[in-house]
Parts: sequence; C-alpha cells; structure tokens
Amino acid sequence: MTMSILHRATGLANYAGMTLFVIWLVAAASGQEALNVVNAVYGSWFGQLVLFGFTWSLVHHMLGGLRHFVWDFAVMMEPGQRERMAWATIIGSVILTLLIWTFFVWMA
Amino acid sequence: MRETVITQQTIADPKSRYGDSRASTRHFITQRLSGAINIAFLLLLLFLVVRLAGQDRPDMVAVIGNFWIGLPLAVLIGVVAIHMRNGMRDTLEDYVHGATYRLAMLLNTLFCLVLALAGIGAVLRLVFWG
Repeated sequence: MTMSILHRATGLANYAGMTLFVIWLVAAASGQEALNVVNAVYGSWFGQLVLFGFTWSLVHHMLGGLRHFVWDFAVMMEPGQRERMAWATIIGSVILTLLIWTFFVWMA
Repeated sequence: MRETVITQQTIADPKSRYGDSRASTRHFITQRLSGAINIAFLLLLLFLVVRLAGQDRPDMVAVIGNFWIGLPLAVLIGVVAIHMRNGMRDTLEDYVHGATYRLAMLLNTLFCLVLALAGIGAVLRLVFWG
C-alpha cells in the first residue's frame, strides 16, 4: 500500500524532475549565459536539495520497477516476502542514493 | 463518447469484458519495456551529471557532442517521455473521468511531447552544431 503510493509519488516527482534535466540541456544548447544561470540555481543549497531528492526519487522508482518485474514472474507475492521486498526497496534506495552522493558529490 | 459503467458485478464476473484489451496490453508492454530501457537512461544520466555538473559549455559540447553519447541520449529521452506519458495516464485514469480526463490527457501528451522535442533538439544541436 505505502509502496504503491511511493511508486506513484516518485513517478510524479520524476515527471517533474525530468524537466530540470531538459532545462539544463536546453540551456547548454542555447549558450554560456543561460548555462551559467542554470548552474548557479542547481548549484545553490536549494538546488542541491532538490537534486538530492530527485536522485532518491529516481533510484526508488527504478527499484520499485524492478520489484514489478519480479512480480511479473508470479514470485515473491506471499505475505512476508512482499514486506521483505518492500523494506529492501526502501532501504536500498536510501543506501544507493547516499552512495551516489558520497562518492560523486561529497568526496569528489 | 459514452462511457460504460463498470459495476462490482461486472468486475466479479470472470466472463465479463470491459476496457480495451488490446490497448491495455500494449500499454502494459510499453510501460515494462520503456521502464527496462530507462535503467540504461539512468546510468547515462548519472555519468553525464557526474561528469558535467557545473561545467561550462565547451565541456558539455565535448561530452554530449560525442556521437556515441549524444545519439543514445536523444533516443533515451524519447523513451523516457513515452514512459512518463503512460505513467501519468495510469494516475489520471484513477482520479479524473470524462471530459476532465480527456483534457488532462491532452495536456499530459502535449507536455511530454514538448519536453521530448526540447530535450532531443538540445542534444542534437550539441551533437551537430556544437
């Protein structure tokens, strides 16, 4: 139940977040001035906060999608299995997001 | 367009048929296929952001302008847009109906189309015109 809502919520967040990626690409294509503005906004503390949330949202939605692939083979559907897979998704998404930011942002 | 009312009896009866079976199956397969391809998109996105975040235009041209990065990226942006439109359709179907649904779906399609065209256009500009 919660995971279904989260999958949908992260899907909607990714829908919006994809706009951020396209804005970056369009700015790069149009010129250095536009790219400077986008880099300043995305590099600000608020921009970084949004991008961190976007990273988690993408990772969570991907793991949720993989969970659906597993279910497509009609396995892991029993009570207990489902809950374990739900916890694995949510804990895995947080760990993966932290790993991505640790290695590519904070330590880079 | 008149919509058939689906009652509990309709759903409970295994012999009843409702919805568009062909369109729904296509929707399902499209969503799973594009979802799987999106894993490749995420890896490419991660590579691009790690490599290019905060960088100047010449760096972006050097990386995205590479034929083997730019062209797959352009294709993957299109696949993402399809996945976005399909996913939003699932959500809209649950919450809005009738004329409101058709309007919302129209806006959804337009948004995804504009996003895909803008993204692909920007990438192609970096690839072919630098």
